Amino acid sequence: MIGVTNLSRHYRMGPTTVKALDSVTFGIQSGEFVAIVGPSGSGKTTLMNILGCLDSPTGGSYILAGEETASLTSDKRAEIRGRRIGFVFQNFNLLPRENSLENVELPMIYQGIPSRVRKERARDMLRKVGLEGRERHVPSELSGGQRQRVAIARALAGDPAIILADEPTGALDTRTGGEIMELFHSLNRDGTTLILVTHDPLIARRARRVIQIQDGKILADVPSGEWTP
Amino acid sequence: MKGGAFFENIRMSLRSIAANAVRSFLTALGVMIGTGAVIAMLALGAGAQKSVEASLQSLGSNLLLVYSGQPRGGSLVRRSTTNIVPTLSAEDLEAVRNLGPHLVELAAPESSSGGQAKFAAVNMPVTIVGTGIRYPEIRNVHPILGSFFTEQEADSRKTSVVIGHQVYQELFGGAGDPVGQKIRLNGLGYRVAGVMEPKGSSVTDSSVFIPISTFQRYVSGNPKYALINVRAASAGIMRQAQGAIEKEILRLHRLPNLDAADFYVANQLDLLDTLQGVAGTFTLLLGGIAAISLLVGGIGIMNIMLVSVTERTREIGVRMALGAKSGDIIAQFMTEAIILSVAGGLIGIALGFGASWAFSRFGGLASQVTPLSVALSFGFSVLIGLFFGGYPAYIASRMDPIQALRYE
Repeated sequence: MIGVTNLSRHYRMGPTTVKALDSVTFGIQSGEFVAIVGPSGSGKTTLMNILGCLDSPTGGSYILAGEETASLTSDKRAEIRGRRIGFVFQNFNLLPRENSLENVELPMIYQGIPSRVRKERARDMLRKVGLEGRERHVPSELSGGQRQRVAIARALAGDPAIILADEPTGALDTRTGGEIMELFHSLNRDGTTLILVTHDPLIARRARRVIQIQDGKILADVPSGEWTP
Repeated sequence: MKGGAFFENIRMSLRSIAANAVRSFLTALGVMIGTGAVIAMLALGAGAQKSVEASLQSLGSNLLLVYSGQPRGGSLVRRSTTNIVPTLSAEDLEAVRNLGPHLVELAAPESSSGGQAKFAAVNMPVTIVGTGIRYPEIRNVHPILGSFFTEQEADSRKTSVVIGHQVYQELFGGAGDPVGQKIRLNGLGYRVAGVMEPKGSSVTDSSVFIPISTFQRYVSGNPKYALINVRAASAGIMRQAQGAIEKEILRLHRLPNLDAADFYVANQLDLLDTLQGVAGTFTLLLGGIAAISLLVGGIGIMNIMLVSVTERTREIGVRMALGAKSGDIIAQFMTEAIILSVAGGLIGIALGFGASWAFSRFGGLASQVTPLSVALSFGFSVLIGLFFGGYPAYIASRMDPIQALRYE
């Protein structure tokens, strides 16, 4: 599903070059549940931006679902984001004026899916994340956990190849965070490929595989059972 | 942009406009006032043009005026003939009449002088006009009481007088029938034969009309005319008639060309051209000022759209992350700007109609909304939405999704 080879992302800061990502190589199969973990400044956010096609690498290759994405125009990257990637953010990033159903419809609008199909699919997705009956609620009428569920439904709506979750439990209390992790596991059991980016070793351990990043390099890439932070 | 997204954009724009109702209204207000002003100002211009045409028609149709003296700039509507040294003779008048009915339908001489009119104890300054019996037809001014003097009276130097409406008002209080009464002009007694209809021009209304023969004998003592009024046979041959008259009088006066002439012909068409030119300039000026206010309204839209784009940076980032291309973002913000400016334009059109109505109802100004001005200002407001919405939309579409998502 994902093939990353010698991937680098360098930033020029005046005379010095910062290597946020330094020749990283790994692969992720369809149906995996991977946590990318590392402290702040380790390069995990940079890696997530590139995996999410929000940013382009300065070197190396990134193949997503058979497509090389390393040097694409911003519009082409936008198209791949819409088609292949579902984002889940720490602070949910729902549109405040739109209700749950409309928020879930959003990625499908940009894929040009007709309104009727969109609405039906959005309803299905909300049901899948346990929010049946909340279709007409706007985000301010929902709890934090419910908002994150709407965001997950939105990420699923475009039928993406991977779900990319950036600290998805960071703004939630432990119990609600745990419920969200449960939801991820249940989605993963149904075949969804999940990549979870976090600084929290306890959260990372709940994925099935851990890729640990430090100073722009992979420090460890092991099944979570064998991982010691 | 994909088909379904079009209605989505409209829906989302309306929602965003409604969420900031007051701000949206104030933004559109600039375009409303601008559009309204363009329509109202162009309506005033069109009204002015109409009233110019109407007032020229009221002078008499197909009118040519043969003046004594050197041409003067502008050759305005009706120059007073009081201060002109007369150079036109009875022979000239005869020659003009003899040009034939295919060119000249009617002709009447005219001279005038200042004088005093007196009835009972009332005195007033008047313009004494000596003219012929065709004058009312040519100049389109007719008696409302009594009649204009007859050919007989004109020929026999009778002391008959037809008084202007204002003279009637002042000497007779505007009531009763003055026909048959005697008034004094410069001390000499005249029998009132009729009263002219009010023309709204002080020259005509404060004049008294007497036969040209009487004028020459008792008022001026000069056998020449200051002016010959001519009605050409039709509007189409006015230039031809003018040329024929000029040629004929040049010959009679033994003059080589018009540069040396002691007379000139003012053509109603020239007057119309001049006055319409003035009205046109006036329209352009008013319309131009109004267009500037429309432009300012457009800048208001741009200003608010820029604020809106900044406020919604996060939203833009989210949309981009979910697959919105730069074109989608541009379409979304352009839709919003165009909805604002079109709504402003539509309300502005209503305002323009209202203002135009108020001008004529309360301001006494001729005002007429033209379909062209409505189309023009509406089209303009759409263009303003496109143009001034374009830059903020472009700014939004160029955002880096990573930065935009991080924006607080």
